[in-house]
Amino acid sequence: MDSTLDSLLLGFSVALQPDVLLYAFVGCLVGTLVGMLPGIGPLAGISILLPATFGLDATKAIVMLAGIYYGSQYGGSTTSILMRIPGEAASVMTCIDGYAMTQKGRGGAALCIAAVGSFVAGTFGVIMLTLVAPPLGAFALRFGPPEFTALLVLGLVFLAYMSSTSLVRTLLMASVGLLLGMVGIDVMTGHFRWAFDIPELGDGIGIVPVAVGLFGLGEILSTPSRSVTTKVVSPRLRDLLPSRTEWREAAAPIARGSVLGFIIGIVPGSAHIISSFLSYALERRLAKNPEDFGRGAVAGVAGPESANNAASTGAFVPMLALGLPTGPVTAVLMAALLIHGIPPGPQLVTEHPQVFWGFVASMYVGNLMLLALNLPLVGLFVSVLRIPYAYLYPLIVMFCILGVYEVNHSIVDVWIMLIMGVAGYLLRKFDFDPAPLVLGLVIAPILEMSLRQSLVMSNGHWSIFVQRPIAAALLGLCAALLVLSALSILRRRRDWRTKLAAEEAGDAA
Amino acid sequence: MRLKRDTVAGGAFVGLGAALWASSGDLPVGSLAMPGAGMVPMIAIGLVMVLGGVLLVRGTAGPSLSADHWSDADHAIRVVVATAIATALYTRLGFLITVPLLLFGLVGLVERRNIVAAAAFSIGVTAVAWLLFAMLLKTPLPPVPWS
Repeated sequence: MDSTLDSLLLGFSVALQPDVLLYAFVGCLVGTLVGMLPGIGPLAGISILLPATFGLDATKAIVMLAGIYYGSQYGGSTTSILMRIPGEAASVMTCIDGYAMTQKGRGGAALCIAAVGSFVAGTFGVIMLTLVAPPLGAFALRFGPPEFTALLVLGLVFLAYMSSTSLVRTLLMASVGLLLGMVGIDVMTGHFRWAFDIPELGDGIGIVPVAVGLFGLGEILSTPSRSVTTKVVSPRLRDLLPSRTEWREAAAPIARGSVLGFIIGIVPGSAHIISSFLSYALERRLAKNPEDFGRGAVAGVAGPESANNAASTGAFVPMLALGLPTGPVTAVLMAALLIHGIPPGPQLVTEHPQVFWGFVASMYVGNLMLLALNLPLVGLFVSVLRIPYAYLYPLIVMFCILGVYEVNHSIVDVWIMLIMGVAGYLLRKFDFDPAPLVLGLVIAPILEMSLRQSLVMSNGHWSIFVQRPIAAALLGLCAALLVLSALSILRRRRDWRTKLAAEEAGDAA
Repeated sequence: MRLKRDTVAGGAFVGLGAALWASSGDLPVGSLAMPGAGMVPMIAIGLVMVLGGVLLVRGTAGPSLSADHWSDADHAIRVVVATAIATALYTRLGFLITVPLLLFGLVGLVERRNIVAAAAFSIGVTAVAWLLFAMLLKTPLPPVPWS
């Protein structure tokens, strides 16, 4: 415990340096804007701004990018509550009761409860991250190639199991991502794979053009400007304070949302989105008057907002401790660390303590900054939405081209981004979630390397994965999840058959 | 017969897998004891084809491809064409010429906003972006050809 406190003090000595504070502030500010603007989620925001961090050292880069991530959770609530526009997917549940509170004239109070809930949950998440990540990292030092292979497969299966779309679609997207991640020179043999006479593909397909294309440009292509209309409502500062009853109603949902969000954040999948949905369902189930939900229930704002903030912090635990991205945002953040020559994983705490603890400490500071930023400046932030979308999206297209080109000064990357933009548009049209594709792309090199190393170690025997206890346990968990998925499909089929039989019986009658 | 959405998607992924399989003939698969550069890609291709096949088979009971679903396609195509032209010109004409053309094309031509406002917006944004990135952040942007 003492060593954790000492390390945290080291982290604060890094995080409180004026330049690190500045980048944390910039990240929080940009994140708030990214969360508010419809059409740009945290992933697109982080992907577009990733190249802007190349000139910074690893600590400042990760502090700024993480600030964008958790800042966007705060920003997303503002437009949800005031305008019923979820700036990003995790804020969908906040729209329901947040906007109902605004219609009742309690929009300011809803904003304050959302901000305080996000602060409490974010801080709880960081405390848990401080306590959980280092021992988990130490445990992961026992991992060899078979364990890493099993862990990565578990990550993919878990993502598919938790996904909002079907298991087949998620695994299909992840497999396409794995294929994209294998383009280029094979590091073990030097063989050129799928280069198509384009020398730039030798280094592989980068995560930046793929992520910017799928989530930045793809989102723009899917959002015709005529469909974006915003009526800006700006609350007065004096309306921001909730009443004593509202505070009382918010306290328990904030506490429950914080715990639930952190736990869900650790498991792979779009944790912050799932956590807000689950928290809303939980609060409605526990409420004395569930009929109030949908009509401005304070718990309907406090619970989901706290849960999605705690989940976004929880997602950093496997990323930092195990080097395992649990979702596309953490995959891009992991790529940012790798670009700066810092591999996330068990050795991060011991080999780069300044980066790890500086990052953790900056999250404490960032949460305070966001609380201070979001409430007094809400009117200013909301006025950004007055920019017509017809002028806003060309700016984003410009940043996409500029940002992607600057990574390697390669126009091939810009073409890849454009192709991925079209692919992102088509995938949305066919009801695919492109997020697992990015995850597949990021883990492809690690998965391939660890699988091949495992096979070499065992002289070609797959049994190595069941002979080692940790790998066997992880693969057992994979099998259990797949069986659970299969059971749910079978059960659905039985439901369908039962329904059809009932209908036929009705017809007969 | 109306085309089903998942049938089309599944068929496309099976086709993609088949095309990649056909173009991977030179990749050495190796043995289990010494896997080659082609082993894991072949597994991934196999996964794409199997999962695409499942989608294709199950797709017959799924929703149809409706024309309404593609009502925004004309806007998307115009944005893609504008971005493709800008990408082709970016390193040839440089940042200072390509970016205002792109912005003007999107605001003035694709969105049909007031031409003067679109021109002012394009030039203003380009100037601010140039000052911010090239002058302040010292980012090396593609130069105009005669500079």
